[in-house]
Amino acid sequence: MKGYRKYFLKKLFWFAITLIAAVILNFALPRMMPSDPIATITQRVTEGMNNQNAVMQIYREYARKFGTDQPMWKQFFIYIGNLLKGDMGVSFQQYPRKVSDIVAASVVWTIALQLPAILVGWMIGNLLGALAAYLRKGFDKALVPISLFISGLPAFGLAVTLLVIFGITLKWLPISGGYSYDMLPSFSWRFIKSVIIHYQMPFWSIVLIAIGGQAIGMRSMSIYELNADYVKYSRFLGVKDRKVVGYVFRNAMLPQVTGLALSIGTMIGGALVAETIFSYPGLGSTIMGGITSADYPLISGVTLIITVMVLTMSFAIEMLYGVIDPRVKAAQSE
Amino acid sequence: MTRKLCALALSLAMLLSLAGVAGADIPSELPRNETLYFAGQQWGAVLSWNIFGANQNNSLVIGGGAASRVIYFETLYMWNDLDGQLYPLLAQGEPVWNDEGTEITVKINPAAHFNNGEPVTANDVVAVWDAHVKYQTGTGVNGSTYISAVEAIDDGTVVFKAVLNDEGKPINPLELPNQICQLRITSAAWIAALDEKAGGDQDAFKNDPAYDIVASGPYAGSYYTDETKIVLERDDNYWGVALWGKLPAPKYLAHIFYADNAAGRAALEAGEVDVSQQFNSDVEKMWLEKGLPISTYIDEPPYQLGLVQPSAIYNLNIPVLNELAVRKAIAIAVDYDQINANAMTHQSATFEQVPRSLFNTTEGQQAAYDHDAVKDLQWAGKDIEGAKALLDEAGIVDSDGDGWREYNGEKITLNAVCPNGWSDWQASMEVVAATGKEIGVEITTFYPEAAEFYAVFQNPDQTQYAIYMQSIGGSGPTYPWNSIRQAMSGEFVGQQNNGSGNWGQYVNPHVDEIIAAIPQTSDEAELKALYTEAVQIYLTDIPSFQLMYRPSLFHTVNESVWTNYPEQGDEYGYPPNDLTDGYGVGALYELELVNP
Amino acid sequence: MRNTLRQASHSANFMIGFVLIIAILIMVGVYPLFNPGSPLDMIGLGTFFKPGMYISMYDAAETAPSYTLRIDGAAAKRIDAKLPQSDRESMKRWLTAYGVPEDAIDVDDLNDLLNLWHNTYDEDARPAGLTSAFRRSVARIDAALDGLLEPLDVRVYTRDPQSGEMNETARIRDDQFINVSEVVTTRRLWLGTDNFGRDAFKELLAATGVSLKIGLIAGLIATALGLMLGLLSGFVGGLVDDIIMFFANLFTVIPGFVLLILISYSIGQEQRGATVVAAVIGCTSWVWTTRSVRAQTISLRNRDHVNLSRLSGHTLPRILATDILPYIASYVVMALILQICSGILAEAQLSMLGLGPKTTETPTLGLMMFWGMTYAAHQNGAWWAYFPVILMIALVSFSMNLMNTGLDQVFNPQLRS
Repeated sequence: MKGYRKYFLKKLFWFAITLIAAVILNFALPRMMPSDPIATITQRVTEGMNNQNAVMQIYREYARKFGTDQPMWKQFFIYIGNLLKGDMGVSFQQYPRKVSDIVAASVVWTIALQLPAILVGWMIGNLLGALAAYLRKGFDKALVPISLFISGLPAFGLAVTLLVIFGITLKWLPISGGYSYDMLPSFSWRFIKSVIIHYQMPFWSIVLIAIGGQAIGMRSMSIYELNADYVKYSRFLGVKDRKVVGYVFRNAMLPQVTGLALSIGTMIGGALVAETIFSYPGLGSTIMGGITSADYPLISGVTLIITVMVLTMSFAIEMLYGVIDPRVKAAQSE
Repeated sequence: MTRKLCALALSLAMLLSLAGVAGADIPSELPRNETLYFAGQQWGAVLSWNIFGANQNNSLVIGGGAASRVIYFETLYMWNDLDGQLYPLLAQGEPVWNDEGTEITVKINPAAHFNNGEPVTANDVVAVWDAHVKYQTGTGVNGSTYISAVEAIDDGTVVFKAVLNDEGKPINPLELPNQICQLRITSAAWIAALDEKAGGDQDAFKNDPAYDIVASGPYAGSYYTDETKIVLERDDNYWGVALWGKLPAPKYLAHIFYADNAAGRAALEAGEVDVSQQFNSDVEKMWLEKGLPISTYIDEPPYQLGLVQPSAIYNLNIPVLNELAVRKAIAIAVDYDQINANAMTHQSATFEQVPRSLFNTTEGQQAAYDHDAVKDLQWAGKDIEGAKALLDEAGIVDSDGDGWREYNGEKITLNAVCPNGWSDWQASMEVVAATGKEIGVEITTFYPEAAEFYAVFQNPDQTQYAIYMQSIGGSGPTYPWNSIRQAMSGEFVGQQNNGSGNWGQYVNPHVDEIIAAIPQTSDEAELKALYTEAVQIYLTDIPSFQLMYRPSLFHTVNESVWTNYPEQGDEYGYPPNDLTDGYGVGALYELELVNP
Repeated sequence: MRNTLRQASHSANFMIGFVLIIAILIMVGVYPLFNPGSPLDMIGLGTFFKPGMYISMYDAAETAPSYTLRIDGAAAKRIDAKLPQSDRESMKRWLTAYGVPEDAIDVDDLNDLLNLWHNTYDEDARPAGLTSAFRRSVARIDAALDGLLEPLDVRVYTRDPQSGEMNETARIRDDQFINVSEVVTTRRLWLGTDNFGRDAFKELLAATGVSLKIGLIAGLIATALGLMLGLLSGFVGGLVDDIIMFFANLFTVIPGFVLLILISYSIGQEQRGATVVAAVIGCTSWVWTTRSVRAQTISLRNRDHVNLSRLSGHTLPRILATDILPYIASYVVMALILQICSGILAEAQLSMLGLGPKTTETPTLGLMMFWGMTYAAHQNGAWWAYFPVILMIALVSFSMNLMNTGLDQVFNPQLRS
């Protein structure tokens, strides 16, 4: 257990360093963009104003309010100070709304859309991949090119195609929004039904692409395992086929599980296309809105959430592997 | 089973995230034939209802320019874009100047009352103004340059006093009616309560979301809003029945926050939107090819009422653009028909229909100047040979044979800039860039994000952007004078954060004299001469040039549910302001159901 | 190496992918020879012209010889095209709303209907219950009715430049035809035009070329970086490993795409040529190649031949080049193909967001998609302005993936079926 503790501490150290560096980058990167958020806000609120001094006064007031008139290092320490208190600051664009409120309102949608989509895509994909590896022949011959084609489709291409076919031409599914345009959220079956119907297209646009990639990966892994020596040996020993296959797929799943964990960590970035094309609310559209208006606190806030999610996920995986996979342990004790 | 559970969890999560702000008893399903749906006015969640705030992002409620949005809050007067007149709303009768021309008296309609039943009085107007000034809002800071005080004579009479110049005249008499018709009225009692709550703190006062604000408009009954939509309910006790003779037809006004133009357009085609304030490219295909019951204010191109002029501004900090020949060559070589056909998809009047001046397409503004006197200066565009000749004559030629002309021995390279995502503007810049190629001047397009765009061009010393787009002109009591000011006024030269006008730093003292003279001139002939001269100078010096005409509000309607929308030449004469702004709000009262 | 290639050529997957890619490359290279000129020329005044053969009306009327062909039913066809059944129903609806009794209207008797129409229709009338959109559509039908039954000859007049007189130069009967091959100026627009009036097919091919170039550069950069860092990290280990993995982790925790957006934005469009965009994509996508190469290197570094080489005092670069690289070469080639593929996708996604390369010189697939969507091609039924782009991206990445699968089977014989 001592080796594991050392391994754990070392990993923890590097994760801490990574977190610090990521926080600094999250702060600095948006602020390197060549724009002036105050100018945009001033432009918007002074629309139609004819007095130039009045405009200047409003500009200065915002600069003071948002602290952009301070030197960068000072802004950074204020940011860190607030962050430690759990305060991600106030959005520029949606002033006086808090970044945490905006993120909280949109993260729910992203998770509600992405988590099931990733899980379903992962399950179907792995099932198909495993079947292809096990059955081979015709099924395999058809599955490989189809999966390759689908996983090669650009995400927006698939989303637009779905939109045009099912939304615009066939009119089977609504094309935008999270629920019907003539409803207010309420706890009624009609509302729930409306939510489900609006959920379909963004959901499948993510699932389909995930299926392709997962199926290919699972197929290769399974074939490797099926041809591994231990399988031949077991078969030679007369172990039941079902049992062997069970082992094979459990082993083949391991890397796939890692992939799943990571894709859950990165799902927020992946949500962008589906969200924009189907007008589905969520973090993807929030961060794009933040970038176009140079809303530094909002961008930093969203990237921070992503950073923390990915870090936590990959930390968990590495810890888990440290426990269950003897090979990792061996490598670490070198 | 899992699916059902998932769905349940999902809906629950959404309900939680959509902790909306609701007034009272809006039903959870809006009856379709009692609701009028909008698109293109509001993007993203509503932040505040506070008329003194600076960032409400609540444009269905707080929006519009001189033609203010008057469905929730009301103003004293309504501006009519079509005839350029003010119509009384909370006021009664015309605004009256005193004999010295130093103050305006406005009578308040005695019938007017707020949604809480309290009457609208002169004190409310005074309180609103004083709060704007005290808390240094945009309206207060800007408006007090022109208005020194607002005083109540009695409950029904209020006086706006002008700031006077050395000669004892208002520094700008056009600005008084302009300020008055944009002043949204709430109650003095509500202001006093907020004042007390904020304890004199400016930020606390302005940042209060004001969910309980008092208003007098027809849809100030009740409201609902969350991350995805806003719904306004009609106040069935609305005082304006006395003014209009009836209540507006729809019981609810609703606006879904679409993610982008494409989503809003799809909703319009599906009949989920009744009134669209979006630029819908190829709008005529909706009825010609798809046979949808969709129409615009005008049946033929340009379909919309052109009120502003998106223009290409020359940055005169760049030496080569100080050459008149270069400015003129580019301006006359641009293919405006291509811009109209491909960028605006024919939703702009052509420069043949409305020759370029500085003014918008309305009759009132077109009558401001002498058309014959500037005829020889107006150009139609696509004059490649003429442009080449101009450049050759000025000695700006291609001497090294690479196909591009040089200026002072260096290849001319200009950029054509507008914000990213403003599709019709971007497409126009593409056409301008294509022009450059034909006359041997390299022009490349550049689309920074809006935030970056404003930061750069509002700096008076910038040399990053050579040719960039801004809108000139508009509609309101200060126009068409303000168009000249925006295009050429010296007051903006060298100003930091200048979003108001003359971004290209054009200097001409004589124009400044004209700009100073027009507001003080009342003689018609004299005015016309001044306007004509300004246009002549503008078309001669070309500090910028118009690319197209564009409406200030796009107005496209779907008649699946409602009909009798305003159309050109109808019996009502309401301007196409999406039924929400200024005098255009009157159209709400004339709506009828297609299937009653 | 030669052996590998021969094996690869036996793999059906590899060959199909390879042939597809070559075919695309040939199209990209050859088509401009037949249709010269810049792919960005705005030839159409208007948006989204339909695919098809465009023949010059002027030439057709002025210079092309005409032939008389008596084709039965031409008149009926013309009448149907000008006044389809649905329009007759619209006329009926208007007349009914105007007060004409319904049984007095017979939409099948054209003469009768037209007579009734001419005597009744009033453009300014606003019959109750009719929407403005409907009244306007009826006004358009009305305008198309003139000369419907007895086709009038179309007469072409030209103005005499000297006298200013109008002279009839041609008179076109309804049985006159021209042979398309004899019209001097025609243009086949295989995929119509885009919103700028550009030849969409020509633009598509030019864009494919640029996108492939961007993908190639991005892929090369990403693979080179990934390979170098992965080898170092895996072979040297220790602090070097920790530091490289630290950067790799950093690139993972800030999502690549967000990073890409932020960097593209910071560079500013002014500097964003195709090559720069490619470089940016390459520099942000090396991470997974590094991880994989590292893993492979770790498994190799304690092999006997490596230890032998180390004991012989060979330098680090030499060991990496001669003892490690050959064993992972096949893997690196596959990684390169995947990186090229994802480079093309990344460019397309960036351009979709308006952050792609600056636009005046060259089109890219992402930009075509961006403009198509911006001008609502998908809602206008203008499939030619966006669908071929999606298909092209899918085809390119499909054929590369196919080649990759083929190679995979060659290098890992177990995968062969």
